[in-house]
Amino acid sequence: MDVVQYIENFLQSFAAGILTGVIYGLMCVGLTVIFGVMRVINFAQGEFMMLGMYFTYFMFSWLGGYPFFDGLYFPFVLALLAGPVLFGVGNLVHRGLLQKVTGQNASRLEGGGHYAQLVLTFGLALVLQNGGLWLFGSTLVSVPSELSYSAWEMGPLYQDRIIIFINQNQSIAALLALAVVLVFARYMARSRLGKSLRAAADNPEAAVYMGIDVSRAHRIAFGFGVGITAIGGGLLASNAPFQPYIGTDYVIIMYAGVVMGGLGSIRGAFLGGLSIGILQQVSASFLPNQLQNTMIFTCFLLTILLRPQGLFGLRERVA
Amino acid sequence: MRLPLCFFMTARSFVLSLGLLTAFVYIPAFAQPAAVKVGLIVPLSGPWARQGQVMRQGAELAIKHINTQGGIAALGGAPMELLVFDAGDSVERAKNAAQRMVADEPDLVGAAGAYLSSFTLAVTEVTERASLSMLTLSYSDLLTTRGFYYVFQTSASGAYQSTNALPILLDIATAASGARPKTIAIVMDNTAASVAFVAPIKEGSALKDNNLELVVDEVFTPPLANATSLIQRVRAARPDLLLLLPTTVSDSKLLLEKMNEFGLGRGKLPTVSNGSAMGDPDLLQNMPAALLEGVMSVVGNWSLRGQEGIIEEYKNISGEPWMTQNALSEYGHMWLLKEALELAGVADKKAVAEALHKMDISNGAASYFPGNRVRFAADGKRIDAQLLVIQWQNGVPVSVYPDATAMQKIKWPAP
Repeated sequence: MDVVQYIENFLQSFAAGILTGVIYGLMCVGLTVIFGVMRVINFAQGEFMMLGMYFTYFMFSWLGGYPFFDGLYFPFVLALLAGPVLFGVGNLVHRGLLQKVTGQNASRLEGGGHYAQLVLTFGLALVLQNGGLWLFGSTLVSVPSELSYSAWEMGPLYQDRIIIFINQNQSIAALLALAVVLVFARYMARSRLGKSLRAAADNPEAAVYMGIDVSRAHRIAFGFGVGITAIGGGLLASNAPFQPYIGTDYVIIMYAGVVMGGLGSIRGAFLGGLSIGILQQVSASFLPNQLQNTMIFTCFLLTILLRPQGLFGLRERVA
Repeated sequence: MRLPLCFFMTARSFVLSLGLLTAFVYIPAFAQPAAVKVGLIVPLSGPWARQGQVMRQGAELAIKHINTQGGIAALGGAPMELLVFDAGDSVERAKNAAQRMVADEPDLVGAAGAYLSSFTLAVTEVTERASLSMLTLSYSDLLTTRGFYYVFQTSASGAYQSTNALPILLDIATAASGARPKTIAIVMDNTAASVAFVAPIKEGSALKDNNLELVVDEVFTPPLANATSLIQRVRAARPDLLLLLPTTVSDSKLLLEKMNEFGLGRGKLPTVSNGSAMGDPDLLQNMPAALLEGVMSVVGNWSLRGQEGIIEEYKNISGEPWMTQNALSEYGHMWLLKEALELAGVADKKAVAEALHKMDISNGAASYFPGNRVRFAADGKRIDAQLLVIQWQNGVPVSVYPDATAMQKIKWPAP
């Protein structure tokens, strides 16, 4: 392989890595909000992503045949709508289940409630997977879109060579994901609610003395976390076929991204997810494809070893 | 008070009549031989649940046909009963399910299924120890190289398929395009079936024998997150023929869509796969038929000419648009177990295994397997197993090779 060809391979993989990584980043932000505010490791996060995918799919199946709703960009609107809907679901799940083992209730449980939280979220994941299998069936589905197999062509960038293809569906999804992250980060930094969530995250006791309802803050944070990850799922629903067990494939990526970026940091989680996407794709241009995940977890272990707080986990928390 | 004698006569007659009536009604029921239990172990949860469901539908249809046609004649018309076990989503779970199957159901006389070769390899470790015959369509050559007595591979093995498919496909390409392909790219996942398929190509002399140069050799671990780097390699090398070997529908979609995106799809690059993933009805749920047109796959079994009746009934009861190798093979496996029971004349698992080893049939159950003859070698390989080639034509994957049983003529993609 000559140098020009090598450069084309690298640029193509790098472009794919950015598009994949931005979606990973969005999902990681969802997860880190929950951990940052509630200190809960949510094993069911992948399953909430799956619910976001099915929401987008069913709404598109239901409305997609009607005029006005059959456009190429309607799935993106539905993916964004999955956010508020799953925010509501997350709220209910917190109220009905998680509240019993988090916040003030956690102090009454063994291990500060962590054991109960782990078992509860893991159980919730199993219930959602198997409930999904029962409700949605095992058939692989995806939201049909011409954009998922169409690309913008960039180039030739050098003589008649180096042409880069940019997938249209992934590009739009990545832009929307980036927009959601920026809006959310700004909201958390500037709004009154965002400040109260950060206060509840930093020092729950002090927050209570300041008149903040910590339980409500947890409920909202859980809703935000679930909703943001569901948007990520909705944005993936055209490119990646899915079934009720799809969450398992992504939850490990989410955790790796969050830990690499720094637990509890929005910017860190996003950049952690983005790094994983780029590493995953670029490594395939110079290593055997089978070693993609090995590369990710080697970098992950190196981060843990050299910078245990994560790449961006020093000062920031949910900001 | 003394009752008259005639009263006792009447009462005795009444009781006697009642007894006779009861015997008349119930004796045939008692005479009905007990159902003979056979097992089906397939993934019914997890990512491969869909394929398991299809296999179950095929097996259930066969059991229905066997029982409505009088059951097992050699056992007095005993019906067959299908017990289904969930192999789950991992090798470990498949093995656990097999252990549960042999422990909970000692009366099983035979079993079938498992789907992924890696699952079948684990399941047969258990069934072998339990002396339970296991019929499978899994392709891996490892299944029959371990010296097992109770495993029966009804499809052509992966190595057989690739060794024999390559010259056939090259001849077809030469006849259709006038030029024999000289370069080949391989993009495959690392599941046991794909590895078995490419082993003779990569490690044997298949490339040299066919004057082919391997220009891309990419192996990935499923599921893919993005197929860009894989298809970029193919795009850069511009091979004459692509062997594309994913074993899941999701990876098939990602790879074919990426080929289209890079200008290699819709027949521009002749693409051959292996196994049923590339002929799965779910593909149409996830991508337009135009992207699949012309894609070929080498399979161990598929709907053939002469099976139209079963195919139609299967389509009606299952709602599936066509009958894949998974459904058809399990349909055939149930009939093979029935044939074995007829030969054995006793509902005993060891006798059934012996009957399967001695079996040599060219009609009945044999008609559900390519080659139309079923007999097994000592290692459990089906001696007359043949490969089939299917191709997507007008939105349906149809059998195109061998000509004798093919539904349609092959159309080699024009570059």
